[in-house]
Order: sequence, then C-alpha cells, then structure tokens
Amino acid sequence: MEIKIALAGNPNSGKTTMFNALTGSSQYVGNWPGVTVEKKEGRLKGHKEVVITDLPGIYSLSPYTLEEVVTRNYLLNDHPDVIINIVDASNIERNLYLTTQLVELGIPVIVALNMMDIVNKNGDIINTEKLAKALGCQVIETAAIKGTGVKEAANKAVELVRLKRITTPQHVFATDVEEALDIIQGQLSKTVKASQKRWYAIKLFERDDKVMSTLGLDAEIQKKIEKIITDCEKIMSDDAESIITNERYEYISRIVKKCTIKKVTGMTTSDKIDRIVTNRWLALPIFAAVMWLVYFISISSLGAIVTDWTNDVLFGGWVTNFATGALESVGAADWLIGLIVDGIIGGVGAVLGFLPQMLILFFFLAILEDCGYMTRVAFIMDRIFRKFGLSGKSFIPLMISSGCGVPGIMASRTIENENDRKITIMVTTFIPCGAKLPIIALIAGAIFSGATWVAPSMYFLGIGMVLISGIILKKTKLFSGDPAPFVMELPQYHIPSLKGVLTHMWERGKSFVIKAGTVIFVACGVIWFLQSFSWGLQMVDPSESILASIGTVIAPIFAPLGFGTWQATVATITGLVAKENVVGTFGVLYGISEVAGDGVEIWSRVAADFTVVSAFAFLVFNMLCAPCFAAIGAIKREMGSWKWTWITIGYQTSLAYAAAFIVYQIGSVVFLGQNFTILTVIALAIIAFVIWLLVRPAKKLIPVVAAQH
Amino acid sequence: MPLIMARTGECNTIIRITGKDETKRFLENMGFITGGDITVVSEMGGNMIVNIKGTRVAISKSMANRIMV
Repeated sequence: MEIKIALAGNPNSGKTTMFNALTGSSQYVGNWPGVTVEKKEGRLKGHKEVVITDLPGIYSLSPYTLEEVVTRNYLLNDHPDVIINIVDASNIERNLYLTTQLVELGIPVIVALNMMDIVNKNGDIINTEKLAKALGCQVIETAAIKGTGVKEAANKAVELVRLKRITTPQHVFATDVEEALDIIQGQLSKTVKASQKRWYAIKLFERDDKVMSTLGLDAEIQKKIEKIITDCEKIMSDDAESIITNERYEYISRIVKKCTIKKVTGMTTSDKIDRIVTNRWLALPIFAAVMWLVYFISISSLGAIVTDWTNDVLFGGWVTNFATGALESVGAADWLIGLIVDGIIGGVGAVLGFLPQMLILFFFLAILEDCGYMTRVAFIMDRIFRKFGLSGKSFIPLMISSGCGVPGIMASRTIENENDRKITIMVTTFIPCGAKLPIIALIAGAIFSGATWVAPSMYFLGIGMVLISGIILKKTKLFSGDPAPFVMELPQYHIPSLKGVLTHMWERGKSFVIKAGTVIFVACGVIWFLQSFSWGLQMVDPSESILASIGTVIAPIFAPLGFGTWQATVATITGLVAKENVVGTFGVLYGISEVAGDGVEIWSRVAADFTVVSAFAFLVFNMLCAPCFAAIGAIKREMGSWKWTWITIGYQTSLAYAAAFIVYQIGSVVFLGQNFTILTVIALAIIAFVIWLLVRPAKKLIPVVAAQH
Repeated sequence: MPLIMARTGECNTIIRITGKDETKRFLENMGFITGGDITVVSEMGGNMIVNIKGTRVAISKSMANRIMV
C-alpha cells in the first residue's frame, strides 16, 4: 500500500531541509520565505512505498498568495494519509497557529518540532510531552539541518497511518462560537466526510469564498448560515474571521505559557544587524556597495581573468589544437574537422568559456540569498519601487533573474497582488541573466576594448527599463490601481553554510553546462552546417551559404537598429533558443578556433561589422527582447494564458526595438557625426511618446456620471 | 495612535487594525492580533520592521498607519 506523507508548515521552517533529509534529494533550500513555490515529490529513503510531498510554506489555511493556494488545495483535494507539521521551535507561538488548523482537517497529524538545536543553544526549554497532550497529536523533536529526529518523525507518521488514528482537535472556541459552528455543521450535506465537517464549518463561519463555492450550498442554506454568523458577530462584537483568529492565538498563548520556559533576551544579533543595514541613511549606500562588490569581483576583476584564460588558452588554444591535431592524424575529412573544430568546439567553447565567471556570480548571489540579506533588500527597495508602481517584493524575482530568468519568473508567485505579479513577470527578464553575460562580454571586448563601463551600463539599462515599464504599465487600463501593502516576514540572519552555497551555485551552473552540451551543441552544429553549405549542398564561402541567404532576407528588419548584417541577425534569432547561442553563433560564424591562442582576432573580425553605436544597439536589443524559449515557457505557466504570454513578449520586443532604434539613430548623429535624417526625427518622436506615456495621468475608473459633467 | 508614531525599541500593545481586507486577514494570521505586543525594530521612511510574537515582519507605511497601538 502506498502511503502519502505531506510536509506542511510555516514558510522558512525547514520543510525542504527535512524533505532532503528524508528522501536524499537536494532541492534548493534558501533563507527567505517562499523558496518553494511548487510542491515536490520524493520517496522515503529505504521505503519505496512511502511518497513524501514537500509543500510551499503557509501561515494559515486561508491562502493569501498563490503558492499558499497550492498547499491548501493539495491538503484538501489530494487526501494525504498523514501530515508532518514542521514547527519552527524557535518561533513556536506563530507556528502553532497553523497547527491548530491542520488538526481540524481530519487527517492524522504529527508535529515535528524543528530547529531544536537553536532552542537548546538559546537555553530555552520546551516540554514536548505537555505540548503533545495539549495539541492532541504526537510531537517529535527534530533538527532537520543535522538530520536528528527526522527518521523517527517519518516512522511515527507511517505507524500512525497503519493504526488509522485520526487526530482530534483539542481546542474549543467560546460557547457562542461553538453553538454557531454546531448549527452550521448541521447544515452541511452528507457529501462532506464526518471527520472534515468541523473544518468546513469553521471555514464557512470565516466566510471563506472558495470553500463556500466548492461546497455549492443552496441559496437558502447560505442565507441561514449568514444569519448565524451575523448573530454571533453581534454577541462577540467583532467580525467572524477576527473572532476565530483571536481565539486561536489566545489558546496558543495558554499552551505556550504552560509548555515552555523562555529566557528573557534583549535585542538579538539579527536585530542589531538590522539596525545598521536597514538604517534610513545607511541602507542604500550599503546595498549599492554590496552589489558593486559582487559584480566587480565576478565580472570585472577575478571573473574576467578566469574567463580570458578559459576562452583564449583552454578553448582557443589547447582544445582546438588538440582536436585539430588528433583529427588530422587519423586522416579525417576536411568537412568533419570543420564541423567539430569550427562548429562544435567554436560554438560550445565560446559559451562554456563564460562558465567560471558565472559560477563566481552565482556563488555570491547564493551567499546573499542564504544569509538573509535579500529579504532586507526587498524591504529597503519597497520605498523606491513603490514610486514606480512596483512593490518591494518584485525585487526578489529581479535579483534571482540576474542568475536565470526562469526561477526569477517563478519567484514572482510570492507577490500577492495579481497586477504587481503580472508586471513583475513582464519586466523581470530585462535584468541581464547569466546567459546574457557572455554577449555583453563579447561586445565589450570586441568593440569597446574591454571598457569596464559596458557591463554595469547593461544592468542599469535593465533596472531603468524595469522602472520605466513599471510606470508605463501601471498607467494603462490593464494594471491600474495601487500596489498592495508590503508585508513580509524577515528570517533571522545566519552564516551561510559552504555546502549550501556551493550546492546552490552548482545547481544553477549545472543547467548552463547541460544547455551547452545539448541545445547549444546541436544549434552550433546546425549553424555550422547552414553557413558552410549552399542550397545545392556544396561547401561554399559563408557569404554564399544557406544561412547567409536566410539571414539576408530577415536582416533589413534590424537595419534601422544598425546591425542589419546577416550574421548579427542569425545570432539574435538563435538567441531565442538560448541566449548563450548568440555568442555561440558568433563563435561559429567568425571562427573562434581559427584564431588559436589569440582571442583578439575574432574580436577584430566582429569589430569590422559593427560601429561603436551599432554594437551598443545590438546589445540593447538582445538584452531586452523576448527571452529564451525556456523563459517564455515559464511566463506562459505563471501567466496561465497565451494571451498574457503574447502581451508580454510583444511588449518586451517592441520596447527592445524602440530602445535599440533610439540608441542607434541618436547615437550615430551625436557620436559618429552622421547626418540628421528622417529616422533621427522618428527616434526623437519615440522619445517624446515614451515621455508622454510616463507623465500622463493614470487611467482611473471614473464613475460615468462624474465624467459626463 | 498609529504604529507609525511609535518609537523604535518600545513595546506597544495592538488596540486594533483598521480596514477590512485580505491584507488585514493576512496580518492577523501572522500574529497581528488585538492585545498582542508589537515592537518596532527599525524604521525607514515610514516602512517598518516590527517584532511580533518573536518574528520579524516588514510592513509598508500604509500598513503601519492602519495598526493602532
């Protein structure tokens, strides 16, 4: 018989850590609420018949954000056999609030009192026996991070299922409330399981719309229930929901007082750090310094050194020479040498060359996420983002997107307001992701002789576009309304574990390597083929190849942006498959391998096709236009409709085109001293239009009567 | 008085939370209930980090204005 165990608990209480310990998998664990946004399944180590589901964290069974809906739906509709409720023991009062609701579901519950190591270190004492009695379910002490008690919790859970013992809630509400609940229970149809009746009654009492609609009660019964609720509200002089919440917390306070001895402590270290890093004057300078340092180390200084080495020495020299030598010695055909050396090594090598740089960046991002600083930044940024129509919570998706847009888009689920969430999804890929870094590095090296301002300028461009888009989109009819109030739990600071940071870094880096070995590998081979052969399948000069003829047809679209060559066109289009492909394609087209040992040469060949201004326009377009297919897929999933996916892609691509157009047309006049043309006028007109979009009054829902006057 | 006027580091008791919406319900679920203790840990342009039932929660100015202490 298969047994389904669900892991439920507050955000950041260690569910995923426990999940990893139980199943032996290595799901990402982070130090901010909302790391897990989708449920994950695994099998208990050594017990194939036990399925464990890791659920997104929830504060209560009244969902507020999307990932909380995932959890509630699972608990209600998927009928897990047993719930392991992970309770952060260092924060027991707030965590038990959820427990009081879980025990009402009619499913056996086991409480895993997690983070006991921290409690013991603080010198606090929790009497688990008393606690178990008060809650009406078994309580097991665990420290998931060290693996203690984890096995026991799982065994007890399995045992409980075998015994078929249902947890009965111990908590009773005030007499008036209980009476009301009794009457409501009586109204429920027989389709509701007896064990779940109480839970449904409480939810109806709280006027939970979603539960109300799933039950599909008659209008008459609904009216009757509403009458009971209003009567009770009058007696208690509070609204129904608050009555339930307050009673639950009062009950928990009593239990906690009975079962725990807490040492009185003043300000914690976490608070002291917060005093400094969220200080009203220091917060922004500290944040700017941290980000500058991260990007300086991973992109400009250390990152640049390792990347140069891998590109020029490893792939440009050793690997290419070795492969050429080996293939020639076995007498391979010229076209085969071409395919392997120019196509595959050239393309894949050009991409993999940037791996070290990216790993360093991921390493630092993992530290920032893991220590708890990232949530503080969301708090700090809220004040600024609000001015641009976004909430501080949008910051976390943006920050994650600087690694990869796909998890960035997924992370937007923690934003409770539908409009804020949609805008965040639409703008989050403007932040240059890891895969776009190679494009920046290539252009910066080839055209701007490695100027250090190019990379930061792309980040500023991304942030600028996010903010501009925030204002523009908020003023359209689609998104009018204020951003939702900002409420977010801040985890305690802790020193990140090296293992955690390295795992996280590798998890992110791995997908990059896999992509290089699969999609980009194939794409580079295909591109090499298309650029080496003519339609008659004769090996020809690239300028007469299939690729050139296709590229030449599409190229005029990009001519007003300054990069109307077929090479740049093909590179941009292959970027849709994966952004690394842009560089891979350049590698193949300009032949990274023919310039063994001297990377500067490919650069000079690239440079011949670009001016300073057109290269910058090329960068701008590739940074902002539709993201790769993987990210488009994520947008589709999170938006939930093709309509919104197309709106997103359309918006991103037209913004990219407009921005690149302005850069090229205005830049050519200003920096290259070219003549003022009709296109320059159009560029100025676009700027004027954007300014109008920014300053026009927001669309508000004006009552019809008022508008007529 | 609204929480926004409370001094940093001082422990206050919540008298009520005005308004009636999803966010209010969410706050209540997180432990912002009438009669509960609340301490401002840090304040930045009206946005606040508060200590509620031993956890740190960041709330924006508009929310802090609605919490009466």
